Amino acid sequence: MDRDCCLRVFACEQNLLSRPDGSASFLQGDTSVLAGIYGPAEVKVSKEIFDKATLEVILKPKIGLPAVQEKNQEQIIRNTCEAVVLATLHPRTSITIVLQVVSDAGSLLACCLNAACMGLLDAGLPMKSLFCGVTCALDSERGIILDPTDKQEKESRALLTFAIDSLEKKVLMITSRGSYSIEELQQCIATSQKAADKLFQFYRDSVSRKYSKS
Amino acid sequence: MREPPLSNCEKSFLLKAIQEGKRLDGRETYDYRNVKISFGTDYGCCIVELGKTRVLGQVSCELVPPKINRPTEGIIFFNLELSPMASPAFELGRQSELLVKLNRLLERCLRNSKCIDTESLCVIAGEKVWQVRVDLHLLNHEGNIIDAASIAAIVALSHFRRHDVSIQGNEVTVYTPEEREPVPLSIHHMPICVSFAFFQQGTYLLVDPSEREERVLDGLLVIAMNKHREICTIQSSGGIMLLKEQVLRCSKIAGVKVTEITELIQKALENDKNVRKEGGKCGFVESMPKQWITAFKVEKALVDMSDVEEKAEEILSRAETPAEMASKPVLWAPGTAQIGEGLESSWRDMEEEGEVEDEDDEGGIDDPTLAVSQNIDMEDIPRKQEKNSDDVIILSDSEEDEVIILEPEESRKNTRSKHYAVPSAKKATGGKKKKKKFTL
Amino acid sequence: MAGLELLSDQGYRLDGRKAVELRKIRARMGVFAQADGSAYIEQGNTKALAVVYGPHEIRGSRSKALHDRAVVNCQYSMATFSTGERKRRPHGDRKSSEMTLHLKQTFEAAILTQLYPRSQIDIYVQILQADGGNYCACVNAATLAIMDAGIPMRDYVCACSTGFIEDTPLVDLSYIEEAAGGPQLALALLPKSEQIALLEMNSRLHEDHLEKVLDAASKACRDVYAVLDRVVRDHVQEVCTLLGE
Repeated sequence: MDRDCCLRVFACEQNLLSRPDGSASFLQGDTSVLAGIYGPAEVKVSKEIFDKATLEVILKPKIGLPAVQEKNQEQIIRNTCEAVVLATLHPRTSITIVLQVVSDAGSLLACCLNAACMGLLDAGLPMKSLFCGVTCALDSERGIILDPTDKQEKESRALLTFAIDSLEKKVLMITSRGSYSIEELQQCIATSQKAADKLFQFYRDSVSRKYSKS
Repeated sequence: MREPPLSNCEKSFLLKAIQEGKRLDGRETYDYRNVKISFGTDYGCCIVELGKTRVLGQVSCELVPPKINRPTEGIIFFNLELSPMASPAFELGRQSELLVKLNRLLERCLRNSKCIDTESLCVIAGEKVWQVRVDLHLLNHEGNIIDAASIAAIVALSHFRRHDVSIQGNEVTVYTPEEREPVPLSIHHMPICVSFAFFQQGTYLLVDPSEREERVLDGLLVIAMNKHREICTIQSSGGIMLLKEQVLRCSKIAGVKVTEITELIQKALENDKNVRKEGGKCGFVESMPKQWITAFKVEKALVDMSDVEEKAEEILSRAETPAEMASKPVLWAPGTAQIGEGLESSWRDMEEEGEVEDEDDEGGIDDPTLAVSQNIDMEDIPRKQEKNSDDVIILSDSEEDEVIILEPEESRKNTRSKHYAVPSAKKATGGKKKKKKFTL
Repeated sequence: MAGLELLSDQGYRLDGRKAVELRKIRARMGVFAQADGSAYIEQGNTKALAVVYGPHEIRGSRSKALHDRAVVNCQYSMATFSTGERKRRPHGDRKSSEMTLHLKQTFEAAILTQLYPRSQIDIYVQILQADGGNYCACVNAATLAIMDAGIPMRDYVCACSTGFIEDTPLVDLSYIEEAAGGPQLALALLPKSEQIALLEMNSRLHEDHLEKVLDAASKACRDVYAVLDRVVRDHVQEVCTLLGE
């Protein structure tokens, strides 16, 4: 099967905002998401949890007010982050992740996940492992397309987004739209794990560059 | 989160420094911070950085019916949002005073000064006009939000291209960017806000206050001007008393600053236009600083897909086959069928809760009419019929007095008559459900 | 609006005034018995009512209390029958919130709040008929109401709106003149010291004309001050006569 398996140009800038504790801007092709992290910080008494940190994700779209779609994505990202962040180290505090969509040209949720992870790294919050987001689109003729653009997403028959962790390449989160077979699902997972390798290498390179002295 | 309060010693330090004519970042009294403008790949998207204050602007448009009292004019809508990422003090969903103030100021500066020709946005008078929506998001708050926001708004509006339309009689055809070049908006002039901060009851004046300076100021004067030296808006806020001379002096300073900033904007727009014309790459990726250690970029990466198929098959073969699914429904009677066995109810042993159990069954039948739970309901009905014949039914719901029914058959009739509504409802819903099932 | 001439060749406006003439101002103080201070003002056809309660203890959350000053709480609302078409939202929309903020800012600067720490002064203003110069009528009414309540102020706060047509500043705009869309300036002034408490301007005005317009506005505010001062003195005399002193 002829597959289009290359990831678009990706770029990341860390610590670009002065007010948040950690910030990162992640660009995948033309899709760009800016993440700002505040935490561990003061939490409202109504929201505090006695033994863990309260994790809150806010996703802001570029045009219009946030709707149900954004709330759904916020929940997905929150579940992924909660699985990874060591919240028990900071009880009765709040960790707020604010994501702003700067431009959307396909695979937005994966870009949000990547930006959130880099932001958490920049803020120095303790995590069990890193995570990354990869999107696969299943097309009628061409099989699996990694990191689809807007046009490819619209024409696909199924779109799957995975969050993959860095320790054992396990799947932290799957969300999908459309119908696909079990074999295709497993193939997509395997493909995403391969792509995740590249992404984690990118994380490592950018962080080592940030802390390099030369 | 609450903003950490400003300590008294920090406040007095700032004021003392201002009295001596010094600012924390080394600027002069009338100096502006660096303005940096970058554009995205879509038209109408830009990020403006005024020092460290960052604002994202996006313009979008759609066809809507016009306002009743202005049938030949388009609609322009501004919305500035203070993102929670900009400052720990900004929380989601609370319309604070600051937000109202900034939004009104922006509206007055850009809408009342008629910088955009709204008549040109009209497509069919009285029926369809363009509604242009400008969304501004504050990303980082380091002082002087209004200046950065007004620059972002006007840059985004100048950068934006709307779809081309053609009108034939009453038919409107909107062309996509591929069919016809999108058309820029007609902008008469560019109003830019300049903020002046007053300290010590108006004795000291600073242009473009930073976030720390904003916390200790007494009053703020915002003057919006365009490069033709026309004042578009003046707004004084805060509790200070101004003198006429101060206002006039500020307007002169504003004139100079606005000319500088307008030049910068024009240059940035020109640059972007040239890059796009030459077909070069544009967008935020390109405008990222490549030399910084905090920024990193990787070109297109090919992912090795050779062993993916084998890996997937291996996982599938190792996976256990799922438990045998109940395949065929067992027909009990016309209209009732059972799929699967269901679980044994663990409450059957407990006598006091026998009635609760019955109520549960009935509750289960009354509520759902979804196709999904149909099957379960079908299963429940024969089970309940079995149960009624088996159990001794205890009617009392109080746990204190034990009412024992002497004649179980009569009691069964009693329960049947007591819940007479249910069996007929059951049959009715069963019937309905039967129909539903067949149409599935 | 092209047919209507806002300023004729002889220098008369639509309602027969000259360019620097104010509309007729009629005001009454002490219109309500239960409020601490109240006033009613008519500027031409614009009618505004202001009511002041205070200074009293902070109502609601204690956290808003300032340890060294009084909190000034304002509300601006327009009656639903005040405009040509029935107004849906009397208060709470963006424009009213903005006017509220402006009122608050103006009076926080004018009232001697240091004399009443940890207390609250409420100012409620209602426009009964809007015919241009809403904000200015509110400010004038509120000044009178505060005087009636006996709260000490630095000076009167007088406000007036000014427009600019054909190189001439027009003072005290009516609704038609405002809707014509030219530049408008609203100025709230403390007359004795000539200090500007609030300055608000809309629409395009060339910088060179700013001084002219500001001068005309200041003069108009001083005229308003003369009228308000007269009203206050008459009221005090009346009250004294009634009390038999």
